Amino acid sequence: MISFLIVTSTVALVMFGYRRMLRYLRYFQQEEYTAVRFHGWLRTNRAWDRRGSALLAAAFVLALFTPFALAAVTVGFVLLFIGEPDPRKAGKIRLNMTQRATKIFQLALGLFASFVALFTVALRHDIPLLLLLLVLAVQAIPHFLLLANLLLSPFERRLQRKFLNEAKEIFRRHDPFTIGITGSYGKTSSKAALGHVLSATVGPTFCPPKSINTPMGITREIRERYRAEQRYAVIEMGAYGPGSIKRLCDLTPPDAAIITIIGIAHLERYKTAETVYQAKSELPQALPAEGLLICNGDDDGARRMATEFAKETTLLYGFDTSKGHLDCIGRNLTFDAAGSRCEIEWKGAKYELRVKHLGRPAVSNLLGVFTMACALGADPTIAIASMKNLDQVDNRLVLVDEGGVLWLKDAYNSNPVGFEAALEMLRVLEAPRKILITPGMVELGHEQELQNERMGKLAADSCSTVIVVGETNRAALERGLRAGGLPEESIVAIPSRDEAFARLRELLRPGDLVLVENDLPDLYEHKESF
Amino acid sequence: MKRVAVLFGGVSVEHEISVISALQAIGAIDTTQFTVIPVYIAQSGRWYVGDRLLDKAMYKELPQALEMLQEVTLLPFPGTNGLTTRAKSGFLSRWTGKDETIPVDLFFPIFHGQYGEDGCIQGLLELAQVPYVGSDVTASSIAMNKYLCKLAAKAIGIPTLPGVLLGRAEIRKDLSRARKQIFDAGLTFPLFVKPCHLGSSIGVSRATDEAALDAALVQVCRFDTHALVEPCVTKIMEINVSVRDGKEPAVSVVEIPVASDGVLSYEDKYLRSGGSKGKAAAASEGMASLTRVIDPQDLDPNYKTQVQESAYALFKALGSSGVGRFDFIVDLEKGQLFFNELNPIPGSLSFYLWEKCGPPVLFTELLTSIMDRALERYAVKRELEQSVGFKALAR
Repeated sequence: MISFLIVTSTVALVMFGYRRMLRYLRYFQQEEYTAVRFHGWLRTNRAWDRRGSALLAAAFVLALFTPFALAAVTVGFVLLFIGEPDPRKAGKIRLNMTQRATKIFQLALGLFASFVALFTVALRHDIPLLLLLLVLAVQAIPHFLLLANLLLSPFERRLQRKFLNEAKEIFRRHDPFTIGITGSYGKTSSKAALGHVLSATVGPTFCPPKSINTPMGITREIRERYRAEQRYAVIEMGAYGPGSIKRLCDLTPPDAAIITIIGIAHLERYKTAETVYQAKSELPQALPAEGLLICNGDDDGARRMATEFAKETTLLYGFDTSKGHLDCIGRNLTFDAAGSRCEIEWKGAKYELRVKHLGRPAVSNLLGVFTMACALGADPTIAIASMKNLDQVDNRLVLVDEGGVLWLKDAYNSNPVGFEAALEMLRVLEAPRKILITPGMVELGHEQELQNERMGKLAADSCSTVIVVGETNRAALERGLRAGGLPEESIVAIPSRDEAFARLRELLRPGDLVLVENDLPDLYEHKESF
Repeated sequence: MKRVAVLFGGVSVEHEISVISALQAIGAIDTTQFTVIPVYIAQSGRWYVGDRLLDKAMYKELPQALEMLQEVTLLPFPGTNGLTTRAKSGFLSRWTGKDETIPVDLFFPIFHGQYGEDGCIQGLLELAQVPYVGSDVTASSIAMNKYLCKLAAKAIGIPTLPGVLLGRAEIRKDLSRARKQIFDAGLTFPLFVKPCHLGSSIGVSRATDEAALDAALVQVCRFDTHALVEPCVTKIMEINVSVRDGKEPAVSVVEIPVASDGVLSYEDKYLRSGGSKGKAAAASEGMASLTRVIDPQDLDPNYKTQVQESAYALFKALGSSGVGRFDFIVDLEKGQLFFNELNPIPGSLSFYLWEKCGPPVLFTELLTSIMDRALERYAVKRELEQSVGFKALAR
């Protein structure tokens, strides 16, 4: 009877381990299978097991009196197994069972099961001790994932290298005219817009979707989606540190480049603004001398790159002619609820641009796109017409009317440039009451406090109420708001996102304009219990 | 029991709408006479069978859910007796996998848009020499080419709006010349710009000035090789009618769809909520959920007769089959009626129009009648002499 219970409780524990491991795998995947980051996540979220361990601890106490405690273990783990949510079906960012995820999962589960089996066989005569040791096994579930990943990494690296070489070979053979886009902000929207405009003007264009900007992401896109008739390719080049753009340029050697803005995003990773500049300048350096370099003339960093790494054709775009020469000039930029409008001057001719996008940075990106398309021989009228059809990227300063309340959704990862532009929209759009809800900006290193304070100060003019979410940037934002002269009763600080939105809903009246700035993903906000 | 393979999905922008229409039809097919084999053509163009296809929730889990289904194909030659299964790739399947036949007596394509409604799939069914429901290659492809369909209607005396056809290359070469062609043909703003071959409202836009016209033309080029530009009737009423095949084609009652802003957009057709039901409910019911007036009693009987007679005449002239929906528009200012377009496989198969006929034709009955008709047509076709064999080379 006891040995039967040993078997059933082991099976139940492994079933529970199966579900639990999937849940951890979801976060391991979100942390890009990086041990350090996954560890950081475990620590900051205190995501270690509680339920399984509590069950085993209770069973341990019971087992001191009767070995039938194992029956409780069986029932308990079956119940926990049923209660565990399936991360492949639930949650904001779901677990995607890719080949890599499947391999890691299978190996990790195998390791876990063998460990449990080993313990059980060895300690079948000392049930209380067995139960205590099983607590260790349950606690180790996330670490089995790390171990599996480590064991698989030589094979994974070899496979990745093989795929990378295949992708490289595809580009070498077909040799599409490749345009790299980098900058601290605006890469993804510029890429999507350029892909759209080039397809409508010069010809079929390869343009990986979303914000795919890593070597493996681009490799996969090339292997699975590149078509031989695509004579142009637009590649977003993300800089995750010195050398990462260089690696991308090695994979997809660029013939042309757009530099949007050299800002201070991810300053935590880079430490100084100069390192950011150096990392981004790997793109113009990779261009051949006869290449085409297009830079945002309004941005000092991008302008400096245009001088330092000038190519046969180097063009500048922007709104501000006071900083020096511009080849493509945007003038008379205005906004209304339908979008933005501006006049573009290019090669002596004037064009009227009307787009759904809101905010100066979005239109600035489109100036870059227009310049690139025209430099590649596109008919400017068709380029303008195709930009009119462009849809905005979700959650990047999008205006929506929901039951009489106007929402300016700028939920995507916030930065000083975007935040400032969003506040400008809040200022120019008409509404009786204007509300800002934000947790502030993160990942700005030593600038974080200063920048959040600055935004607070800017927001004070244009808002009637500000809801500050969470604690991270609360002090800095509030300081800024007060310095800007916002009365105390108009500043509302609320610890969690859910409560903040609940409060907001209470406040709302028809006609209100709400800016949702930087709605952080569940990786930061939502706490799961284990 | 006849085994009917209902084909749906397909490589088209209207993929989802096809799934909705097909699931509606499958739910209504008379199971005492027919056994249904749902055949889903995924967006990749591959064909799958399996009972899970009947569960709407499965479509939310694509493409992973495809792994639970059996891949099949229809071979393009006669005598295969149905669908052929494809072995899964993989170590085990190499030993166990064998091509098997899933017998099918009748194919029922329920697609909207490209490849499924325009004669492409019908061509494959012809090559395989199997009976299928609906219009043949010619009738389907003319119906789905808005310009040719207008020409056909005009040729048999049905009034249509003037239209200018512009090729993608012409538009992309010189927008101002393209615009000039439109104005030279006597068209003035406001204008309607549509993709010539697409069935839904995707890519359709209204232009009131040159900038909007440019954008509309460039937009069509994303989806189609040709753009059709027509005058936009500002005070407009739409009238739709359905025609179904039989020994003699029959015409349904008419309907007046009610649009939010004078033109049915994709959102109006498939996403707009018809009241308290909410978006999700409306979307999953497709065309059947649109706000509309069926068999309006206060409609000028002249319009009604004209619509029904024109639809009947065009159905016959094109040699259409199955059930089609003919859309007309009335310029309320001038009191003129125009034929607008023909859907050879309409959303929800227009069952909601047949239910309101006198005597009512219920969805099940409608499906049975067009399936029986498909088998009759097939029998006639098989009777036609085919001369196949070696003559010239045999000498």
